[in-house]
Amino acid sequence: MAVFTRTTKNLILKIEEFFDNIDLGLLVFREGVKAYLEKDMEAFNRHIEKAELLESNADKLQRSIENEMITHSILPQHRGEVSSLIDVLDEIIDTVKSTLNEFSIEMPDIPASLNHNFISIMEASVSAGEELIPAARAYFKSPYTVREKLLKVYYYESETDKVSRGTARIIFQEMNDMDLAHKSHLRYIIQHIENISDNAQKAADLLSAMAIKTVM
Amino acid sequence: MIILFLTSGLLLGWSLGANDAANIFGSAVGSKMVSFRKAAIIASVFVISGAVIQGAGVTDTLGKLGAVNAIGGSFTVALAAAITVYLMTKFAIPVSTTQAIVGAIIGWNLFTGNSTDNKTLTQIVSTWVAGPVLGAAIAVLLYIFLKAIKKNSSIHLVRFESYIRTGLIIVGAFGAYSLGANNIANVMGVFIPAFNLQELNLGLFTLSSAQQLFLLGGLAIAAGILTYSKKVMETVGNNIMELSSEAALVAVLAQALVLFIFSSSWLSTAFVKMGLPPIPMVPVSSSQVIIGCIIGIGLYKGARNINFRILAEIAAGWIVTPIFSGILAFFSLFFIKNIFSIDVGGNDRNIIDPAAQSVTANSQISEIIQYLILSLLIAGIVAILFYYFLDRKKKIELRKSEEKFWRNLK
Repeated sequence: MAVFTRTTKNLILKIEEFFDNIDLGLLVFREGVKAYLEKDMEAFNRHIEKAELLESNADKLQRSIENEMITHSILPQHRGEVSSLIDVLDEIIDTVKSTLNEFSIEMPDIPASLNHNFISIMEASVSAGEELIPAARAYFKSPYTVREKLLKVYYYESETDKVSRGTARIIFQEMNDMDLAHKSHLRYIIQHIENISDNAQKAADLLSAMAIKTVM
Repeated sequence: MIILFLTSGLLLGWSLGANDAANIFGSAVGSKMVSFRKAAIIASVFVISGAVIQGAGVTDTLGKLGAVNAIGGSFTVALAAAITVYLMTKFAIPVSTTQAIVGAIIGWNLFTGNSTDNKTLTQIVSTWVAGPVLGAAIAVLLYIFLKAIKKNSSIHLVRFESYIRTGLIIVGAFGAYSLGANNIANVMGVFIPAFNLQELNLGLFTLSSAQQLFLLGGLAIAAGILTYSKKVMETVGNNIMELSSEAALVAVLAQALVLFIFSSSWLSTAFVKMGLPPIPMVPVSSSQVIIGCIIGIGLYKGARNINFRILAEIAAGWIVTPIFSGILAFFSLFFIKNIFSIDVGGNDRNIIDPAAQSVTANSQISEIIQYLILSLLIAGIVAILFYYFLDRKKKIELRKSEEKFWRNLK
């Protein structure tokens, strides 16, 4: 019994640590994009390194959590869904890492006049991800509160869409001196930032269904 | 020959173990919360304990219904019940060994000209309805209580499930104990009046003649659990409606409580002391009680997922099982008596077959049965130890492979 209690405690700690990793990853993304827009490349590179570390740690935790759930037959009725949730959350931190790397490799030339728009898109997208974490934690402790927490995720996701549509309109309709390749590149970068909130919405949909099943 | 007569009871015990252990550990094993091996070992140990410690009360009631006073009669009655259970199971009709044995005893009463005690019969039949209803009521109350605890405690899902798993093991053990206490009468009850074995001194305690038969019956139930219940547990776990882990825990606990209530002499005495009517010591069907519990939870949750066809089948089983078993016992007794010329008992319930008494009281027979019981107990303990060490070895190998995986990944 003592062995089993220890396994349970370890698994809870690992799940919490995984959520912490995603949360920190989103924070690093926010600071990283800000550093890039402020042309502070030293801070930007530091944030990329941090994101890579967090992503690798999240991958290890994901494997370990899934392994422990199977080998110790923990949460047999919820195992599939919990694994899917962790998988979708891992996609968020994967997107964080890959988007920062794209900034680093492709060095998109973002006009200073669009800095505010890019920061707004990034803030809304990151907020969608950040609001997801308390809901995911709540699934394990108080599933009754999950759905109300998810409302903010959906709000920020639609906000991200709105701001990015507006920015794309500015790029393609108002910036006539910019060439099409440049415009397309900026649009491509915006899409990558948007991916965070899209993944958050995907996780929110899953979490919402999981919470109903647990409460019933 | 005497031991050969017991085989029909042992067969009935085996089929009871094979079918009814699923009511206790079916949900836990079906949902992979508890491994089959662990469930089977726990169920076996506690079924035997319940049968030996607390099996007497229920057996007395069954004896009042019809005291089968010849070994040939006991054999035939138990065989008719065992065949009924087998056939019903084969045709997938929910069956109760309780109803089969009651039908068979009434068949014996009719054949031998004994009158059936209507008061006892009414008492038994009314608990067939009261058992599932009481189970449903207890299950709903426990379910509401557990849900309230879960909602207000903000306990982590992983920890909650680990408590549920521990709860399923503890409640399963209690359920197995109650099953042994309540249902051993079905298996060995008909042999009690016809057998008179010498007391068995095991050092720490002494087993009476009835307790020795209960121990044999308990071992037969355990054999049924260990050899055949895996398939039943894995397939019938969620037959009536899909159960969450907490609903499974509640259903098994409610079922165990009902079986315990109807087999606990001290609880009945306590009721009498409080000025309440005594609780009848009656064998109830564990299958039907757990179905009652699950339906109770289902109704509380809104009756959306209940398979109502099963309800109709249970109602049909209430009527078909005792009638079929009674008719089968009647005709079997006719054949056994007239073709094999074996005494199946008479119409004076106070006279017990003197030949059987003298044979079973023979010290050599007692010794054979004692050796049989001891060797089965030793074999059981050896098997449990073997499985324990096998399990431990597997766990160590698994841990080593895990450690190797993470070392290589680094």
